[in-house]
Amino acid sequence: MRRTIGYCLFVAVAVLTLAFLLLPIVGIFVHTSPGKLLGQLSNPVVKDAFVVTLKTSLIAQALILLFGTPTAYLLATRRFTGHSVAITLVELPLVLPPAVAGVGLLAALGRNGLLGSSLDAFGISLPFTQTAVTIAVAYVASPLYIRQAIASFEATDPHLTAASRTLGAGPVRTFFRVVLPLARGGLIAGLALSFARGLGEFGATIMFAGSLQRVTQTLPLAIYAEFDVNFDTTLAMSGVLILISALLLLTLRIALSWQRSPSSRSTSLLGLSTST
Amino acid sequence: MPIRRSRLAFLSATAAALCLLVLPAGGAASAKRAQITVYAAASLTNVFPAIDSQEKYSFGGSNTLAAQITQGAPADVFASANMTLPTQLFQKGLCSKPIVFTRNRLVIVVPKANSAGIHDIYDLTKPGVKIDIAAKGVPVGNYTLQILKNMNLTAAVLKNVVSQETDVREVLAKVALGEADAGFVYSTDAKTVPGKVTVIKVPAWAQPKVQYGICVVSKSGDKTDAKAFVKRVLSKSGQKKLHNYGFLARVKPSPKKR
Repeated sequence: MRRTIGYCLFVAVAVLTLAFLLLPIVGIFVHTSPGKLLGQLSNPVVKDAFVVTLKTSLIAQALILLFGTPTAYLLATRRFTGHSVAITLVELPLVLPPAVAGVGLLAALGRNGLLGSSLDAFGISLPFTQTAVTIAVAYVASPLYIRQAIASFEATDPHLTAASRTLGAGPVRTFFRVVLPLARGGLIAGLALSFARGLGEFGATIMFAGSLQRVTQTLPLAIYAEFDVNFDTTLAMSGVLILISALLLLTLRIALSWQRSPSSRSTSLLGLSTST
Repeated sequence: MPIRRSRLAFLSATAAALCLLVLPAGGAASAKRAQITVYAAASLTNVFPAIDSQEKYSFGGSNTLAAQITQGAPADVFASANMTLPTQLFQKGLCSKPIVFTRNRLVIVVPKANSAGIHDIYDLTKPGVKIDIAAKGVPVGNYTLQILKNMNLTAAVLKNVVSQETDVREVLAKVALGEADAGFVYSTDAKTVPGKVTVIKVPAWAQPKVQYGICVVSKSGDKTDAKAFVKRVLSKSGQKKLHNYGFLARVKPSPKKR
């Protein structure tokens, strides 16, 4: 009897939690009809913001993949002095308020920032450019990929890499032929998560890159700008972002189920253990 | 035993969290004089607390504030950097008939270093100048566009615009930081960061009519205190404070015949 009551309590709390999480999303889609939503998508503000968002996000994610993967591999396979400091550094943007990230980027890469005058000597001025948007996105989103990549690399069976090495493959070949295929699922999942985070970037972008239609105005910035102009447009763009984010999260779930780990270890995703 | 203890910890943590949720509401209710919530244009950030330090303020772009009030935000008073927005709210029955409580004028600000070498408004058309303005819809953004139109500089200046901000103080901040080469703000904003920016005047003939409107929000739960606040702003001492911060008299002195 007591057991049933306890179970019911858990179910009730879970239902409440899920309803709380679902409510704003229902609100957005109830507030606007699908026809209206589609109609708003031809609005130039929406189209421009979509293009800017997609372009900057894709470049940022490519950079994250290119630089984050070797970094994550090193952090996963080597223990050195300052290892935990490096891990903390990687994770810091995850918990920093985006506004702080924006201030930091301005203080570092702004015209009067740490590297600003050196960049200026080369005729480069970052603030208010699409490059600035890309940098802001890369800064706030990279931890999500690198963390997941570290977890995936750690989960690959060290015996397999050792076997590959004893069979004569060099470290680079081993990395590309053995480690990468093994960690593939986790890496894709990390990238999906990082992509989703990057799409939603707001605070660092508005501070470091400003907001200008067709140049630096991403979807979240356009949502904020349109809030007091046309609420329907705001709803439409929010709807689009929800759909894309949901799609990315779905990709992530599927990718994680691919991750084959011979010793059936679990890969951790944001502290959540997903057994594979 | 450890299970018991952790359950106890969990329960007390939950209870504490619930208490925190409830407490502030109780605390506010027990305050002596009821505080009202004033939604005010970002350009009023310094002067309003000087007129009345008792109230709760939410400063921002007047258009954002108006949209929030339309969506049911708990404001008692709305003070806008134009008459258009409060008049629209009045027509929708969302606030009382707005009254002009002060006026302002626009200036151009450039960083103290002025590396772009801007000395008058026409210099803003030089190629490569980075200009920051407020977005269309934000009162100061609309005023900026009006000036450019009056001076026939719209296309020439807009091609140099690098960002459109959501309120006037963000324009000011980006110029004061030296990230933008120039920006359009109210003369009163420029006065708040005297060491960081240089002011360049906009010709008087090109100035738009910048009137600030104030109204009592219809859904206010405390109209008596809201009305008292409006009175305080319109009073002699309120107007003196506004004057001290560089705002113009609410009624334009009658013009001399030219």
